[in-house]
Amino acid sequence: MNFARWVAIYGPTYLTGLGWTAVTAVSAAGGALIWGCALLLIRLSAGRWGARGVDAYVQLFRNTPVLLPIYLIYFAFPMIGMPWPAVVCGGLALILQNGAYISEILRGSVNAIDRVQFDAARSIGLAPWSTFRKVVLPQVLVYSIPALGNQTVLLLKDTSLLSAISITELTMQAKLLTEQTGAAYEAFIVVAVLYLLLVSGTEVLFRVTHRAVRWG
Amino acid sequence: MPPGSLSLLAQGAVVSLLLAAAAIVGGTLLAVLLATIAFSRLAAVRAVYRVYVFVVRGTPLLVLALLLFYAMPALDLRTGPYIAGTLVLIVYTGALFAEVFRGGVLAIPRPQWESARSLGLPPLAMFRKIVAPLVTRYTLPPYVNVCVMTVKASSVLSIISVWELTLAAREIIERTFAVFTILGLAAAFYFVMCFGIDRLGRLLERRLALKGFAGERA
Amino acid sequence: MLTSRIRHVMAAALVAILVAAGSPAGAQEKSRLDIVLERGKLIVVTLTTVPPFAFNDDKGQLVGFDIDIARLVATALFKDPNKVEFVSVSAEGRWPAIESGRADMGVGGTTTYPDRAIRVGFTRPFIDSGISVLVGKKSGIKSLKDLDQDKYTIANLNNPQMADRAKRFFPRTKILTFDTPSAQFLAVKSGRANALQIDTPSAEYWAAQNKDEMEVLPGLLGASQNNGIFMKPGDFKWWQWLDTAVAEMRTGSWYPQYSEIYLKWFGKNPPPQKFYLQQ
Repeated sequence: MNFARWVAIYGPTYLTGLGWTAVTAVSAAGGALIWGCALLLIRLSAGRWGARGVDAYVQLFRNTPVLLPIYLIYFAFPMIGMPWPAVVCGGLALILQNGAYISEILRGSVNAIDRVQFDAARSIGLAPWSTFRKVVLPQVLVYSIPALGNQTVLLLKDTSLLSAISITELTMQAKLLTEQTGAAYEAFIVVAVLYLLLVSGTEVLFRVTHRAVRWG
Repeated sequence: MPPGSLSLLAQGAVVSLLLAAAAIVGGTLLAVLLATIAFSRLAAVRAVYRVYVFVVRGTPLLVLALLLFYAMPALDLRTGPYIAGTLVLIVYTGALFAEVFRGGVLAIPRPQWESARSLGLPPLAMFRKIVAPLVTRYTLPPYVNVCVMTVKASSVLSIISVWELTLAAREIIERTFAVFTILGLAAAFYFVMCFGIDRLGRLLERRLALKGFAGERA
Repeated sequence: MLTSRIRHVMAAALVAILVAAGSPAGAQEKSRLDIVLERGKLIVVTLTTVPPFAFNDDKGQLVGFDIDIARLVATALFKDPNKVEFVSVSAEGRWPAIESGRADMGVGGTTTYPDRAIRVGFTRPFIDSGISVLVGKKSGIKSLKDLDQDKYTIANLNNPQMADRAKRFFPRTKILTFDTPSAQFLAVKSGRANALQIDTPSAEYWAAQNKDEMEVLPGLLGASQNNGIFMKPGDFKWWQWLDTAVAEMRTGSWYPQYSEIYLKWFGKNPPPQKFYLQQ
């Protein structure tokens, strides 16, 4: 059957997949940002051991593929009494992985903040937590927007791996359609185009945000 | 730990490493080609580069692999899963390396270009004596980064039933259910490979810095 | 009057007709059988996590009933059971593999269904199968009826027949979908799912390996089924040969070799080759 007809018939079934991809990507991205900030806080405030701990954590997740934590949390956690739903498991794995990368991005931006600001904050008696919240974090986040955008795109692409733990996101949808209709070519081209749209959309979103925040 | 699993995992690790190595070699060659296209004088040719990179970087590796494996018979030929898997990785890393090279060339400050041109060097000599060393200096860290990404990317091929470390781990787990132990071991293997590549990269950077390439990191 | 010129023309026409008749039909595609014979090796696509049909043993070797049958086919073609290469795929990858010509034929606990047969060619069955439900004992499910409650979860494979059966037999049960039988099994073993549906021999194999935790529910989902060798449809020569080979294995001259394989994997004799011949 020709391509246009196939898309017309099976197009709407992709909406479920699209929904799941968007939901997991957005929540995992938000969670990873929070976790990354938390790691940054630990690194900055817990002295040498805090910094070393965070370093070890980051190295672990930078040097192992994200499929391993996905499988571990999904298949092994029920064994130790924590049978969380698939989306939670997948989302958690993505958060743990991307949180590590985000904390490194933020760390790079922290070094860009003028040292003077820290002294100024201390001289007006700001507590460390307030310093972090009012001085460091806003600037670091704004400064990191492009790199964070990049990381979000990577996270978005990693949601395709959640198809391995039975989450019906876009990639799983394409596999199901291939099985059902035999039209592997059509099924996967449509999915590839949808991902390209999502990725472009995310990039545009971050670029617009970056510009808005810089001028705001 | 179930008997024989360590040796199976080790075999899987070797396969992953070989897949990554082949992909890095092929990807680098492809990237050199792509990078030259990226700087072509013809806008249409440059557009080819941009489209290729856009598509490869905007699609998850899993989808690319499924697309190439299932939907493009032309690529299948009579190849086994390893060759097909390597081809997918080469397409993927080619785009990543090309962006690294392109970034490296763009990072060369204008004065260098101008002084090179004022020396009246022919293009090949200019490339060898000026462009290549500078590009190497700027691109070595991200290049090593992409190499590490390639090793990690090879694990995605397990979903396409290419037998490598992740699939080996899964198979052992399905037989014995020692999930924590086996995944832990698999993670250790990946860690050693990736961390090792990273360290090798830094070593290389330091050696090149000593030879006068003046690396950015001490 | 047959002048010499007319005789020359007639001779030329005759030669042309003979040549056209004798030469291979250029427009027709070569049969897969010829391609395989020329190549000297058979390429078979298979799932690799459906014991006892096709799975990796603890030395990492691909073994199983279907694997041995495929080797028997290779023996018929080349007198050598090792002239075969296996391509491993996940469930939905079976069809693109034969459609694209990457593999010549496929095995791996693949059941013949009419809707599947629209795109995939099947030989007659080389083994009977059926779909059983494997449950985790902890769930307390004792019959198919018990399973049909929304507090339970079943692990399916990602093909439409599984989804149909789930809708028909247990519409209330929650569904998880995976792309390999091994992932289904892991889901039940880890407690993610309470049950899975798969070919009866596989369910029985897993139940035997995990006697304390799992058991097979009595009864089949639907009828007894046929597992056949599958291939790209439309290639009559290839299908005819494969089907003849299977016929001979099950009911004819190669029954002894078939029986040997059957006994090895199922621990009992296969059905008699003719109903009127007793074992």
